[in-house]
Amino acid sequence: MRATKITSQAVRSTGRNRIRAALMMLGIVVGISSLAILSSIGEATKRETMKRFKNMIGTFDTIIVRPGGGRSRGMPTLVNVPPTLRFEDANAIAAEVSEVKAIAAVQNAFDIDVQYRERNTSPAVFGVSCNWLELRSEDVADGGFFSDEQNTSLARVAVLGADVQNGLFPEEDPLGKTIRIANVPFQVIGTLKSRGAGPAGAALDNIVLIPINTASRRLFNRDYLTMLIAQVRNPDRSVEAMEKVAALLRERHRVRPPALDDFTITNPAATMAQVTRASSTLSKILTGVSLMALLIGGIVIMALMSISVSERRKEIGIRRSVGAGRGDIVQQFLLEAVLVALAGGIAGVLIGVGGMQIVARTQRLSPMLLWQPIVTAILVAFGTGLLFGIYPAWKASRVDPIHALRF
Amino acid sequence: MIEVEKLSKRYKRGGNAEVEALKEATFQIAPGEFVCVRGASGSGKSTLLNLLGCLDQPSSGAYRLDGEEVSRYTDRQLSRIRNNKIGFIFQSFNLLPRTTALENVEIPMVYGNGRVDRERAREALERVGLGERAEHFPTELSGGEQQRVAIARALINKPALVLADEPTGNLDVYAASEVMALLQSLHWEGRTILLVTHDPAVAAYASREILLRDGAVVSDCTLRGNNRAIQGAI
Repeated sequence: MRATKITSQAVRSTGRNRIRAALMMLGIVVGISSLAILSSIGEATKRETMKRFKNMIGTFDTIIVRPGGGRSRGMPTLVNVPPTLRFEDANAIAAEVSEVKAIAAVQNAFDIDVQYRERNTSPAVFGVSCNWLELRSEDVADGGFFSDEQNTSLARVAVLGADVQNGLFPEEDPLGKTIRIANVPFQVIGTLKSRGAGPAGAALDNIVLIPINTASRRLFNRDYLTMLIAQVRNPDRSVEAMEKVAALLRERHRVRPPALDDFTITNPAATMAQVTRASSTLSKILTGVSLMALLIGGIVIMALMSISVSERRKEIGIRRSVGAGRGDIVQQFLLEAVLVALAGGIAGVLIGVGGMQIVARTQRLSPMLLWQPIVTAILVAFGTGLLFGIYPAWKASRVDPIHALRF
Repeated sequence: MIEVEKLSKRYKRGGNAEVEALKEATFQIAPGEFVCVRGASGSGKSTLLNLLGCLDQPSSGAYRLDGEEVSRYTDRQLSRIRNNKIGFIFQSFNLLPRTTALENVEIPMVYGNGRVDRERAREALERVGLGERAEHFPTELSGGEQQRVAIARALINKPALVLADEPTGNLDVYAASEVMALLQSLHWEGRTILLVTHDPAVAAYASREILLRDGAVVSDCTLRGNNRAIQGAI
C-alpha cells in the first residue's frame, strides 16, 4: 500500500525530470541494445554453425576413422591416403566393439568424370555401405537406395546428389537412366535431398553415391578405405568407443606404442564443441564490451542520481517533515534509479531488436527473436539500476531534514 | 498535550567545543493553546521547534507529545509522529516544485496509513480558500497562496500540533494578515498551535508567549487581550 504510493511518487518525480531521466538512460540503452544484439547474434551464429555441422557430418553419435596418423586437413581421398585401413577392419570393429551400433565403410575420390549423353560433370564419388543414409541421417528425394544384395553382387547402381542431378538431368527424370562414371556405366536408382553448403562452403550436393564393393572392384580398383564411419550406441560413451576402436586397430595393424598410430579417429561432436567454444569466446568478449557499456551506464545513473540528491535536498527535507522515514526515501530514490534503468533497458531491447534485424539481413543469418537474451537484458538493466541506485538512495536518506528545510 | 522537561540540545562544533543550543527547557502546553515562541536569532527557537517537531532528538530531557514519550524514539517512530501528529508551516513555504497544489497537499497521505484521498486534499484546499487553484504549480501562486497551500498540507492528516516557523516572514502585510487569520481560525477550532516569530504583531495573535534567550526559557506568560491583532495592530 505504502509501497505503491511511494512508487507513484517515484514515477511522477521521474516524469517531472525527463531530460535528466533521458540522460540517465543513455548508457543503459547503449549497453542493453548492444548486449541484446550481440547475444542474439551469438546465439543465432551458434545455431547456424550447429545446423551446418549437422548437415556435414550427419548425426552427432558417430565417430570417424581415417587412415594415416596425424591430422590431415581437408577431405581424405583415395589418392592421398595410405592404404592401411581395410575392409576387414570395418568388419572387426562391427564384430568386436560392443559400443558400436553400425559401421559404414567409405571409399571416395573427387573430380571423377560423370557423363550422361552429351552432358558431363565432375563430382565427388563415394562408395559407401548400404547403411549410409541412416548413419548420416540423410534421405533420398526420389527413387531408392542400394541394398546389401546389390552391394554383394557389385551392382552398377548410383544415387545422385542434387547438384549432379541438376547438372546432368536439368529437364529429365534421372531414375532408370544410365550414366557413365569414369566410363563405367551405372544406372541411376535414386536422388538425394539437397543439403546445401557445408561449414567451409563445400558443395555437399555435388556427390554420387555407389555401393562400396562396386566402387572397390569395378571403379577404383583399390582394396583400402578412405574412411570408416561408426555409429555408437550411446553418444555419451563415444570417448570409450573411440578408445576401444583405437586399441583394436592398433592390435590389427600391429602398432605398438610409442610407435605412432597409422589411423586417426575423430569425434564430430567434440570437433563441433571446439568450434562452438571458439565462437562463444568471441561472443564472450563482445558481451564483456557491452557489460562495460552497462557499467558506464550504471555509473552515469549513480553520478546523475547523486547530483540530483544534492539538488533535491529540499524535497527530501519536505518529505521527511511530513512523515517520510529514511526507508521511504531510500525506497523512492532506489525506485527512480530502477525505473530509469528499466526504461533504458526496454528502449535498449527495442533498439537491439531493430539492429538485429539489420545485422541478420546483412550477414544472411536467419533473424531470430530469442526471448532469453531479451529477458536477460531487461533483468540486467534492472540489476544495474538497483546496484547503482543504492549509493544515491542511501545518500538521500542521510540528508538532514533540518538543514535541508532551512536553506 | 506537550510536556517538556529539562529538554536540552548540545551540538558538537569542531574539535571538542560544544554548543548548548537549548538548556533544560521545561514547560507544558495544554490542548488548544496558541503559543508563541520569541527570542533573538540564535536564542534556540529553531532548535526548540525542531525538537518539538520530532525532526531532531534531544541530548537530554523528556518530551511527551499527546501522551507519547518521543525523546528516545527511532527514526521510523519519529516519522510516524511527524506524519500524523504534527503539521509544519515554514517561512519559505517548502512546497515541492513542478508539483501541483493538490499533489503537494496529498504528500503527507503518501506516508500515512490510509490511502491518498484526492477529495480530502481538495476539501483542505477549499478550506484555505484555494479550491480554484488546485491544479496550479507553486510558481503560479503568490506567496500568500503558497503559504495557504502549505497550511492545507499541514492540516491534511489532522495533526494534534501545528508548528509554524516564521510563517509570515516572506509575506507582505496583506498576505501575512490573511495567513494569520487562517491560523487564528484554526486556533478557534481548538487546534494546538506553536508559532515561532520575532514579529510582535504576529506574536500578538497568540494567547501565551515563551521567551528564549541563549537557549534558556526566560519568561513564559499569558498574553491578555489576545485579540489586539484583530483590532488592527498589523
